[in-house]
Amino acid sequence: MKAQEKTNTGAVPGVAVLLTWILPGAGHVYLGRIGFALGALLVVEGLYVLGLLLTQGMFLEYLPPEMRGRMAGMLTPEFGNLGALLYHIQEFGYGPGYKEGLGYPRAWPATMDLGTNLTAMSGVLNLLLMSHAHREARQAANDVASKSGVRAHGAPWAALASWALPGLGQFLQGRRLRGVITFVLLVSLFMIGCVLAEGSNLDRERHFYYWSGQFLLGAPAALAEFLHGHAPVTGDVPYADGGVVLGCIAGMLNILSMLDAYGAAAVSRSSTATSSAADGIGASA
Amino acid sequence: MNDLPFHLLLFAFTGTVIVTISSFFSEADDQAALRALPRRVLVFLGGCGLIAVVMLILEHTVASVH
Repeated sequence: MKAQEKTNTGAVPGVAVLLTWILPGAGHVYLGRIGFALGALLVVEGLYVLGLLLTQGMFLEYLPPEMRGRMAGMLTPEFGNLGALLYHIQEFGYGPGYKEGLGYPRAWPATMDLGTNLTAMSGVLNLLLMSHAHREARQAANDVASKSGVRAHGAPWAALASWALPGLGQFLQGRRLRGVITFVLLVSLFMIGCVLAEGSNLDRERHFYYWSGQFLLGAPAALAEFLHGHAPVTGDVPYADGGVVLGCIAGMLNILSMLDAYGAAAVSRSSTATSSAADGIGASA
Repeated sequence: MNDLPFHLLLFAFTGTVIVTISSFFSEADDQAALRALPRRVLVFLGGCGLIAVVMLILEHTVASVH
């Protein structure tokens, strides 16, 4: 089905996605799922607001002056929550007095690292929420699935599980070998990166964009950062660059794992829906 | 170049992870994905080796700075 084709209920999947991107839950309001929308808004926007408070809106000030620009926020996980990021940029930008050359550097609040993890988490969760809204809108268009009563929104949850812990989505789907291999390989790669970089990769201030890629590894990356802390680098780290790259590769590869979990859940649901409908047709015949 | 073996080992492991996750992504069946691994790893490593050779040739010819 074409993305812009209207569903049976009149909902356009692309519109549901766009609305969710701008305001978490708005796409679900559009689809008539008010309760879910309010819950999603509370969680996703709540995380961003909490992160904003903890960082005092300073996360973009991590960027060195030469890297600051209008599009600098587009390669961050926060971009997944576009409305909040635009508000953030508009309200806080690169800090007071930046345009006059007076705003850099400032001392970070003590809760800066926790805060940036929360805003990044909000962006990733909203991306998954967008995929959920898209699935819901497409579900409404699918006569077979609708009549069978099978809901298709398991796919985004599977992707969420694989983000939270690499391989978890596959493991919960019963594809345990795949889940275990994925977990072992990605976490090993990430840990080798951490060892090579001597933990210097676990800092968003130091590696703003690489950290974003690494963040997609979910809990292992967050846990490693929490346990290691953010000690200053005081000596030469010979393999720092290699370590940063390996950590980032591990996170980026987890996107494939998330898509794999998503795809398997979507196919599984469609098959169930089709067979249920076929059973219904057979029974009525 | 003293740590060349270490670099090669790292590259081999990273390449194996990249190829394995890609194989899982493109093959829905676990056994089929694992069966396809050796050939995929060879193609990946061979391709990377070819690129390395081309880069070395360029480095020593048109891009050489003396």
